[in-house]
Amino acid sequence: MTGKLALIIEDDFDASTIFATALQVAGYETEVISTGDEAQVRLGEVVPDLILLDLHLPRVVGTELLAQVRADERLQETRIIVASADARMAEAVRADVDLILIKPATFSQVRDLGIRMMKSAVR
Amino acid sequence: MLISAVLQRWLEIPTTDPEDARRRKLLSILLLGLLGVVVVMLIGATVVIALTGVTGSELEIALLYGTGVVAIIGIIIIFLINRYYSGTIASIVFLLLFTLLAVFSDEPSQVIAGRSVFIFVIPTLMASVLLRPWTSFLFAGLSSLLSIGIALSINYVPNLPIILAFFIVALVSWLSARSLEQALRELRIVNYELDQRVAQRTKDLSEALWREQIESGRNQAILKSIADGVIVFDNQKRAIVANPSIAQLLGRSEAEILNSDIRTLMRDDVADADRDLADRALTGAELTKPGMKFRWGAKMLSVSFAAVRNPGGGIMGNVMVFRDFTREAELDRMKSTLLSMSSHELRTPLNAILGYSDMLLESVYGPLTPKQRGTVERMMANTKRMLGLINNLLDQAQIEAGRLTIHLAPFSPQDLLKEVESVASILATNKKLTFACEIEPEVPTTLVSDAQRLGQILLNLTGNAVKFTKQGSVSVRMYLADKTHWALAVKDTGMGIPRDAQSYIFEAFRQVDDPSTRDTMGSGLGLSIVKQLVHLLQGEIHLESEVGQGSTFTVVLPLAPVQEEAK
Repeated sequence: MTGKLALIIEDDFDASTIFATALQVAGYETEVISTGDEAQVRLGEVVPDLILLDLHLPRVVGTELLAQVRADERLQETRIIVASADARMAEAVRADVDLILIKPATFSQVRDLGIRMMKSAVR
Repeated sequence: MLISAVLQRWLEIPTTDPEDARRRKLLSILLLGLLGVVVVMLIGATVVIALTGVTGSELEIALLYGTGVVAIIGIIIIFLINRYYSGTIASIVFLLLFTLLAVFSDEPSQVIAGRSVFIFVIPTLMASVLLRPWTSFLFAGLSSLLSIGIALSINYVPNLPIILAFFIVALVSWLSARSLEQALRELRIVNYELDQRVAQRTKDLSEALWREQIESGRNQAILKSIADGVIVFDNQKRAIVANPSIAQLLGRSEAEILNSDIRTLMRDDVADADRDLADRALTGAELTKPGMKFRWGAKMLSVSFAAVRNPGGGIMGNVMVFRDFTREAELDRMKSTLLSMSSHELRTPLNAILGYSDMLLESVYGPLTPKQRGTVERMMANTKRMLGLINNLLDQAQIEAGRLTIHLAPFSPQDLLKEVESVASILATNKKLTFACEIEPEVPTTLVSDAQRLGQILLNLTGNAVKFTKQGSVSVRMYLADKTHWALAVKDTGMGIPRDAQSYIFEAFRQVDDPSTRDTMGSGLGLSIVKQLVHLLQGEIHLESEVGQGSTFTVVLPLAPVQEEAK
């Protein structure tokens, strides 16, 4: 499988299902992780092409996770989309991410975004 | 003192008629005086007999003492009659006996024309004051008869000039007694009136005092029982009044609070800035500010100030009323926590429904039949409506709680209108209305406000415009209102808003009551929120509308809004 991997780090089951489906439609292989610490573990094992990150996560907060990803040499090529209902909180991390998605984000929005990301991918 | 009191008690006659009382008292005095005279005479006679050894017949001595004792008994009997039975009878008896005594007081010749003539005058004089004034004539007559009788019995010629003199005396004493009585009566009336007046005055005064006492007692009771803490400061900013509530609130005794000034009172427990503020408020510098809230020790207190004026209007000091709202502050905090939590909890499932519906519509799980598509579209539309209602309710709640914050930042008017257009033009096209956005060239390329809230305002106004317009157009125009303000006008060609409804259309939960709008009903919160948001953005909203001619909502905002510190 040479498919591109998208990690959806989101604790809400419905939101993660919709996002995952949307990104699958866009052509990604998807993996849903619902807690911050699990994400930390998983990010040590794989190099995803795209991370869709919710900033409100149990145990390890999204911003902390974001800082770790950005500090990780292996993950320099990984694109990050931050999804948050809090526009101000999202603005605060704008410099570190590729895209900001203000919740509620619709299925079509995420799907179209995924398609764009897929097209513009260098690899 | 004691003697006079006893005397007073014996002389005072218990009767309601003041004239009678006066006469009887006079008689009592006379009798008492007479009794004294008799007693002194008896003692004097005894002493003289013992010392000089004057001898008389035993009969004479017995007669002397006998007469004395009889006189004393007579006086006492008359006194008792006077005191307990009747003053008139006592007086008549007394005067008759006195007259009789006068007959035998001296030799007959002396009684009718000599040295003892004057004795007959005494009962006449006394009758006028002891009985009635006119009775002096009766006794003058009696004395005259007796005088004539005595004269004839000793073969004298009755002494007519003396008899005439008796009647002259009677006349004089009648006149004087009468005028005395008259004067006394008048005096009594004057006294009575004076007494009445004094009594009335006393009554008035005591009532006034009583009222005042009740009034001040009531005020005192209010001050004592009021749940708010009250301190009154004089012009030197020293506490002159403190109630139990403030003592309890501050955990100090009233005595501790009294006489201390505001700075001393607030030392240790209140932040410096708040202390300065309170101090300045007492100076009157910030009397326009109605109340302030600050932390005092472990408590949150709200304080209001008012000047205390004397009746002349001068300021005597200030009253500070403290209210403990620690609990309210806590509740407020809990309420906003609940609010933000529920806003998340309510929106999340609705967004999930929208997401899944969208997935179905996008044929992720295979193509839908037209009926399935229609159903899913209805589901989405209803969910969106519900989400809109919830958003409005939560916004309203947040505005009411003062929690809705504004973030002033530079933004591009072009981007704002583009975003609004993307949503509104779809709505308008669906209803076959034309939609246009226009920015006048003089509008700066960057403005300062809260773009997110502006978007909310515009979406609401354009949404309404589309909702209430059946045909024609909806347009948004951005322009400069004057040198310091820019404006957004949302114009439609819809049904218009009746004049009477224009006054309440911005109130929460109010809509124009028109059966034709039933199908377009919302929460009735949209315009209320718009107005409040506009105010938070330091702007104003105006409405121009004629029924059947359409409506124009104009939002006027400052080019340079004042940056307020975040709460």
